[in-house]
Amino acid sequence: MTIGDSIFRKEALEKVTGTAKYTDDYHSPAMLHAKLIVSPHAHAKIKSIDILEAQKAPGVRAVVTGQAEFPLTGEEIHDRPPIAFGKVRYHGEPVAAVIADTLQLAKKAAELVKVTYESLPVVNSPSEALSTSAPLVHENLGQYEKIQHVFPEPNTNIADRIKIRKGNMEIGWQESEVTVETNFSFGPSDHAAMETRCATAEIRPDGHILISSSSQSPYMIKKLMSEYFDLEAGKIIVTTPLVGGAYGGKVPTQLEIIAYLASKAVGGRPVKVFNEREEDMITSPVHIGLEATVKLGSTRDGKLKAAKLFYTFDSGAYSDKGATISRAAAVSCTGPYFIENIWCDSLCVYTNHPYATAYRGFSHSEVLFAFERTMDVLAEKLGMDPFELREKNAILPGHTTPTEVDLNSSNVGNLPECLRKLKELMKWDEGRFIKINDRKVRAKGISCIWKTSTIDTNASSGVILTYNPDGSLNLLSGLVEIGTGTKTVLAQILAEKMKMDVSQIHVRMEVDTQTMPEHWKTVASRGTYMAGRAVQQAADDLIRQLKDMASRVLVCSPDELEVGYGKVIVKDDPTKSCMIADIAYGHKYPNGNAIGGQIMANGKFMFKHMTHLDRETGSGKPGPEWTVGAQGIEIEFDTRDFTYRILKAYSVIDVGKVLNYKGALGQVMGAMSMGIGFAGREAFIFDRKGKVLNPQLRTYVPPHYGEHPEYIVEFVETPHIDAPHGARGIGEHGLIGMPAALANVLSNAAGINLNQLPLVPELIWKIKTQGVQNDSV
Amino acid sequence: MIPYDFAYFKASTAEEAVELYQSLREQGKQPVYYAGGTEIITLGRMKEVYTEAVIDIKGITECQTLQLEQNQLVMGAALPLTKLQEANLFPLLSQTISEIADHTARNKITLGGNLCGNIYYREAVLPLLIADTDVVIAGKSGRRRIPLNSIFDERPCLEDGELLTQLITQSDYLGLPYYSVKKRRQWDVGYPLITVTALKKEGKIRVSFSGVCLFPFRSERIEECLNDTRLNPDDRIERAIQHLPKPISNDVEGSPEYRLFVLKNTLLDVLQALEGETYAHN
Repeated sequence: MTIGDSIFRKEALEKVTGTAKYTDDYHSPAMLHAKLIVSPHAHAKIKSIDILEAQKAPGVRAVVTGQAEFPLTGEEIHDRPPIAFGKVRYHGEPVAAVIADTLQLAKKAAELVKVTYESLPVVNSPSEALSTSAPLVHENLGQYEKIQHVFPEPNTNIADRIKIRKGNMEIGWQESEVTVETNFSFGPSDHAAMETRCATAEIRPDGHILISSSSQSPYMIKKLMSEYFDLEAGKIIVTTPLVGGAYGGKVPTQLEIIAYLASKAVGGRPVKVFNEREEDMITSPVHIGLEATVKLGSTRDGKLKAAKLFYTFDSGAYSDKGATISRAAAVSCTGPYFIENIWCDSLCVYTNHPYATAYRGFSHSEVLFAFERTMDVLAEKLGMDPFELREKNAILPGHTTPTEVDLNSSNVGNLPECLRKLKELMKWDEGRFIKINDRKVRAKGISCIWKTSTIDTNASSGVILTYNPDGSLNLLSGLVEIGTGTKTVLAQILAEKMKMDVSQIHVRMEVDTQTMPEHWKTVASRGTYMAGRAVQQAADDLIRQLKDMASRVLVCSPDELEVGYGKVIVKDDPTKSCMIADIAYGHKYPNGNAIGGQIMANGKFMFKHMTHLDRETGSGKPGPEWTVGAQGIEIEFDTRDFTYRILKAYSVIDVGKVLNYKGALGQVMGAMSMGIGFAGREAFIFDRKGKVLNPQLRTYVPPHYGEHPEYIVEFVETPHIDAPHGARGIGEHGLIGMPAALANVLSNAAGINLNQLPLVPELIWKIKTQGVQNDSV
Repeated sequence: MIPYDFAYFKASTAEEAVELYQSLREQGKQPVYYAGGTEIITLGRMKEVYTEAVIDIKGITECQTLQLEQNQLVMGAALPLTKLQEANLFPLLSQTISEIADHTARNKITLGGNLCGNIYYREAVLPLLIADTDVVIAGKSGRRRIPLNSIFDERPCLEDGELLTQLITQSDYLGLPYYSVKKRRQWDVGYPLITVTALKKEGKIRVSFSGVCLFPFRSERIEECLNDTRLNPDDRIERAIQHLPKPISNDVEGSPEYRLFVLKNTLLDVLQALEGETYAHN
């Protein structure tokens, strides 16, 4: 009925008319405003903070600075003071917050806070972090509280190390007739969501704490705030209205903590903390950087035999999601290929860069950039077509993943079919390097993709359905509408199940952790799967209740009834039915007797059979299924100037089942655009002292409308049995092959190995003219 | 959000604006003329622009003029770039300004603002410098019309409180063969790595630059070298770049070495376009 249809998003009209409300759009008369004072240094001792003048400024209610008694925070390692204390570890780190009657007064007074620093030597890259002479970003790493499954190495800058040991490397190298080894690097960048991050907090006289935040994780805020400040979880109420783009950047809990401390400092009054763009770019967490070495061994006919992988993630000053990202990188360390022998060390290291958190693709675009680029290097050495090498090694049902998960025809998609379709779409057989004239060439390049999710093994999602008197339904889910249209897809799943019109389903967009069931976090392309299953379960419950009620009206057994089209119908005699609207609030007999009440149902979902990774070998089942796909890019390259234009970008992804065609297309194209931006232009530029030189959209430029290529997107549908209608995750996947595809096509066009990002013409010029590369191919 | 308070004044004549400026200045208000406001907002937010009084010049008729008559094109300083671009009376100017910022910003950024503001690229000045454009300036002692080149040194050098009201280009420049190109770090949005505009008048190429250094410029020495047709184009360019002002910009858009590489290629394109049998409009 509605599955697959391009149903408009439920919140579309609000958004296109500009009336949709985001966190910062909510005001209350009592609300105060906080302005952060941030560090201009990447690493420095805080010698003193003079707040006297600021305290005296008009409208100022309080100035909060870091305190020894403030808890250390962090999801896996408690390594981060909510406001810097003792020293600062990155450019942009909050050192104080001025709370005043208006944002303007707060901003004015913030200029009066005088901080003196004594600068410290800076760790400016992952390789610097690992050098034995490196300054320590965290001197007390060994003493931090942490969860069980993360392993910081005291007296180093290593926050975590994940090992994959699969097969036998010695045999792998023996069987390898050809080897290649390549180094890669790129620095941190930004999510650049349109809505900058914002949080408000208020402490009510009865002890309830009200937090509102532009977050992907309102339930995690509740959990973490309770943990950090020893508060009763039930007293913390978090609301999240619509979110204007998140991309992983709104997973962490940061401004919420500052807002709470600020509210506490002013007797519980509501306080808003709102990021201006510059703060959003470096003060709040960023997209992770990476240095990588990939060594591959294969037979002469291109069968991969061994992979040795060393990934060092630049988590910046704090670990936040860095350790989890490094873990996800280990899980998918090879790209979608079957390799019997794998050695991988994936490290999360501290540097004096802005700290990293989740970013759409969660380590996959990063790892695939390194791995898929090396696949092309290998193909070239073998004299083999890049498609052929990938087809030959494509991961299939019956194979095992790097963490030794057995794959079957449900838990992995059909990669060979994606490759076949892509090859046809790209007209690969016409050639991948075509000279147009003396200067210009047309070139093509590809990358395969795969991704599973590495979310908490006990992550869950709940849904509540309630009837309205007209027989329409309310759908309540703790999933945050971050712009992916997932809440509309949930309505489609419910409409399909109830055989009703999707317009009769009212989806509550705003999340309220007190009144709505938890959805763990809106991350990892898992919203539709988790909340969708909960919806289906709730709908089953609803149908059971409707049949039960109708059986009394229609005087038959419930199992002789069917629900659909706003009615409960007697199966073998459809002339006998009752309207759902007439029983949704119970049934009233002619004599006035009544039974029932408002019908409501709930459903919940939790993944089955997920495990942690073994510390020594990495074996374990981190995610429920793998989405696979193949992507390509076609460019026109100027061999004199080293400039290029992306003409076409392709994606063929096995999504299991398309639930909303235009929605899926939009997700994939948007992600591709983001991947192209990340690969081609977006990166923070640091000076030698670790200061970010371009924390502004003037000089940090995401893709603009009009710069985009033609997007060509096709889907393959191999159902994942456990998921609603067989649908696989799709929110991130369009992004993750783009950097590798762009690096591959440019390397092909320029005739050099391009192993760094962003792929700006200056980089190509530099390598062309100075040969700056250090690979032993 | 702009953290400081400022007063707003709207002038209806240039004289009134200039008088307002004087009196506000005497009161220590650090006044600024305000037309599009893009820099006041975006730099004011960071306190890189500070003022206690803005004088809106959008209501001054002469600052809004756009007319081609008596063999001259008169362009008001408060005209938004989009308006100039769409009128397309001076194709070289239209093309050059169409690359500044983005469309939404160009609806606000004005011709005078681009020339006199804080952001140093001032690309709108490039065509004007090589088209012998005059400026009309209102000041304490009245109005004067002088060649832009005579007061342009890195920026229009106005006396304190003077208001640039108009730019006037002779119509015989408007249809000359031209070339204009903006090269960025990457693709189509952002500040220039380099912007080069060129005109060919009476057989001689004139050229002006932005992004190469921390200010836009036109250099007679460079033009002499480029027009020395006894030498081949590569040699002319090699000689020309010896006369670039120093230092070459080194910033997030690119290194000095790379800028020179791009500049040489671009100058080659200029020579090719304007010396070829047929000239291309880029």
